[in-house]
Amino acid sequence: MNAPSEVPALDIRGINKTFGGVQAIFDASFSVAPGTVTALIGPNGAGKTTLFNLITNLLPPNSGSIQFFGQSIGQMAAEKIAALGLIRAFQTARIFPGMTVLENVAMGAHRLMKVPAYRQMLLSSAARREERDVRRRAEMLLDIAGLHGERNRAASDLPMGAQKLLEVIRALMAAPRLLLLDEPAAGLNDTETAELAAMLGAIRDGGVTLLVVEHNMSLVMGVADQIVVLDAGRTVAIGTPSEIRNNRAVIEAYIGREDG
Amino acid sequence: MHQAIQIAVGGLLQGCIFGLLALGFSLIYRVTAAVNLAQGAFCIFAALVTSSCEQAFGMPVMIAGLVGVAATAALSALLGAAVFVPGLARLPGSTMFILTVGLLTILQGASLVVWGSQSYTLTTFSGERPISLLGISIPTQGLWLIGVTIVITSALALLLARTRMGRAFRACAENPLAANLMGIGVRRMQLLSFVLAAVIGGIAGIVIGPITSFQFDTGGMYTMFGFIAAVIGGIGSPLGAVVGGLCLGLATQFAAAYMSSLFSNALALSLLLVILIWRPSGIFSSGPARRQDVRDEPRIHRAVIRLGLRRGLLLSAVAAAGLLGALPWGLQSGGLMSSVVITAILFLAVIGLDVLMGFAGQVSLGQGGFMAIGGYTASILAVRYDVPPLVGTLAGIALSLVCALILGIGAMRLRGLYLAIATLAFGLLVDSLTVGLENLTGGPSGLVGIPSFSLGGFVFDTPLRNFYLIAAILVVILTVLTAGMRGGFGRALLAVRADPLAAAALGVDVRRYKIGAFCICAALGSLAGSLYGFYFHFLSPEMVGTPISFQMLAMLVIGGEGTLFGPLCGVALITLLPTIFQPLAQYKTMGSGLLLILCALYLPSGIFGTAITWLMRMRPERGGVLAVRRSTP
Ligand SMILES: Nc1ncnc2c1ncn2[C@@H]1O[C@H](COP(=O)(O)OP(=O)(O)OP(=O)(O)O)[C@@H](O)[C@H]1O
Ligand SMILES: [Mg+2]
Repeated sequence: MNAPSEVPALDIRGINKTFGGVQAIFDASFSVAPGTVTALIGPNGAGKTTLFNLITNLLPPNSGSIQFFGQSIGQMAAEKIAALGLIRAFQTARIFPGMTVLENVAMGAHRLMKVPAYRQMLLSSAARREERDVRRRAEMLLDIAGLHGERNRAASDLPMGAQKLLEVIRALMAAPRLLLLDEPAAGLNDTETAELAAMLGAIRDGGVTLLVVEHNMSLVMGVADQIVVLDAGRTVAIGTPSEIRNNRAVIEAYIGREDG
Repeated sequence: MHQAIQIAVGGLLQGCIFGLLALGFSLIYRVTAAVNLAQGAFCIFAALVTSSCEQAFGMPVMIAGLVGVAATAALSALLGAAVFVPGLARLPGSTMFILTVGLLTILQGASLVVWGSQSYTLTTFSGERPISLLGISIPTQGLWLIGVTIVITSALALLLARTRMGRAFRACAENPLAANLMGIGVRRMQLLSFVLAAVIGGIAGIVIGPITSFQFDTGGMYTMFGFIAAVIGGIGSPLGAVVGGLCLGLATQFAAAYMSSLFSNALALSLLLVILIWRPSGIFSSGPARRQDVRDEPRIHRAVIRLGLRRGLLLSAVAAAGLLGALPWGLQSGGLMSSVVITAILFLAVIGLDVLMGFAGQVSLGQGGFMAIGGYTASILAVRYDVPPLVGTLAGIALSLVCALILGIGAMRLRGLYLAIATLAFGLLVDSLTVGLENLTGGPSGLVGIPSFSLGGFVFDTPLRNFYLIAAILVVILTVLTAGMRGGFGRALLAVRADPLAAAALGVDVRRYKIGAFCICAALGSLAGSLYGFYFHFLSPEMVGTPISFQMLAMLVIGGEGTLFGPLCGVALITLLPTIFQPLAQYKTMGSGLLLILCALYLPSGIFGTAITWLMRMRPERGGVLAVRRSTP
């Protein structure tokens, strides 16, 4: 067996992206070791979400290579990438309206469901078993998240914060190998943020590699193993939390600007 | 050469009309991003009013025309304010499309009630004698037409480019929210564009009136061709609309002259399909690119209704019992029994539509086309080659699946309503083929002598036997589909409908699921078509034509989309009521249009969904199995 640290979970090399002449991502390169938490930080408009869109190929990059556990995914369709286990949650929650909370979570298991549709229709026992397992797991996750009581409500009836949480659970349902979260703490209060920090730690300990965009610095400093700082599309710094805390470029580009 | 020029002139005139109609489509699309399929009906309405003013009040045609235009403006303002604009505010794009189908239906139905089914024509504006230019004869009315087209096109171009109103229109199209913030009354602009488009259509109808004949349902045809012209030119672009209209006019006239008039439509539609696949945004594309990661359809307005499998089975038992209960009646009068069988057959086809629309969120305007393929394939094989009905039915399904795959793979690359457009073209193409291929299909007068369905020597030759056959098929299909829709497959379809991008980010191959749903839809349509032929022993193009496609959409929306069982309510209401109460038959079209609009606007989950919601409210303790909540727009 290979030591898991040999192949990075995510390896990005020289990614560029322009939007009609404006360079949104400029030569981004970094890698994420398996089983770690990497935080992606930067001021508003730095290109963090864009970088996520490029990794999941919702937008095609202009150049550069992206590898997921050693496999090149730069040219792969979004659904193929997800099927490999690279799952994301969006900055503004994209739950499925018109579906119940439970169905939303169960939808996360899509990449794991292997019984073909026609056997579901013929009510084969394999299909029924699979469906039962998915539902049981979904209910379990909802229970952990404290949303079990809402499981039969329309997901779009949940308040915004709960929708974001729901989206994270849905992503976990997919048993991701690499999970991308875009500002999971936005809109949460202090206790909820603390809970989230504990949850992120637990997810990592469960063997899921995490790449998290986050503005909340205390959360980032507490949970991240590595921090990547982005400013106006450029990678300004990469390092451990303590290195980043003392990095002048970062203080100027990010913290300094936000304060002033 | 001379002949060719003469044909070109004809094509030009035809093209002017298509162009004017396309202009209306483009205008509305620019401002509201919706397609208004009622466009052609306003055209005919104006012409009909003009004709009445001429004949009943003896007005000169010009004055009568002014009255016609004014009436069109008033009617469109009313319908726009009461239906179209409120719909825009709360309906998703696909339902909006259906809403305008409702407008088209109601206008045609009302015209039928007022003007009957005979055809009309208008007096020419300036004499009957054509003028002759270098040996080419042009009716003077044609000159009027060309003049009016030039004036309207330039006026509209000026309006859009130079005036404040034009800028406001553009702002509404690009970003309604920002436009609202800037103090532009978006709703007023939407209404204005709707009325303006109707008026343009009305003028077109009055000018073309003297050189053609028209009746209550001619508007449907004008809608199709105007829409096709707009798509060819690139919907949203006024210049494209006129160019698209001219291309279409020339192409159909030349095809009619040099091939066969029956195939001129087929050619136009093939042209459309080629353009859709080759250059989906039309020859003159317009419209800004949108951010991919931003939802482009935030308006979802539908209750979440879930039935457990056991309840689903229970309901299908109830539905079956209900149909069986209708039997004693039916046995008394042959007519009613026949209607019950028709209801069951159409139900089958509408279930297919429900999988596509209610679950995958795609609109098909071509379900009648698949019924035709299934019907004619099985019937022709049985009549001409003695192929057993079952084999013929399966062959029809296979052929339908091939068509669905080709259409689906072509159209699903594209976003938005392209499947709707492609299926409309497909349905019309099949229409023109069933009419045109007389040797094979019997042409407009239909195919006779189709045997009854038989299975291993047992012949289903009475309405009652047919009823049992179809009821059995329905039970099987409903059971299978309920299982599929409740499981991972249906869930993925719902997710694709709700948010294709988020679904893809979870590993759903969006295209494959849409095509899968489309194939189910096509197969059920085809099956229904085959059964239709075997039941009636007769099949004619109008039994399975595009108007039937529209009617089935109405049935679906009225019954309740996304419910599988709901369509039965819609089908029964529209098919059975007019049979039971004969005097209603005259109002059938208008009534179904009205119901369609009311349901689309006020009962987003249809009669069935609303009834279930209501029943479950009364027994809240059972809420665990079934979730009923209104989702906020
Ligand atoms: N599809 C797109 N088309 C055009 N411009 C885009 C697109 N996506 C992002 N941009 C632009 O790229 C820049 C980076 O945006 P991005 O959303 O990635 O920032 P972000 O770092 O996620 O900011 P925030 O913290 O506000 O979420 C912005 O200027 C944005 O307007
Ligand atoms: Mg962002």
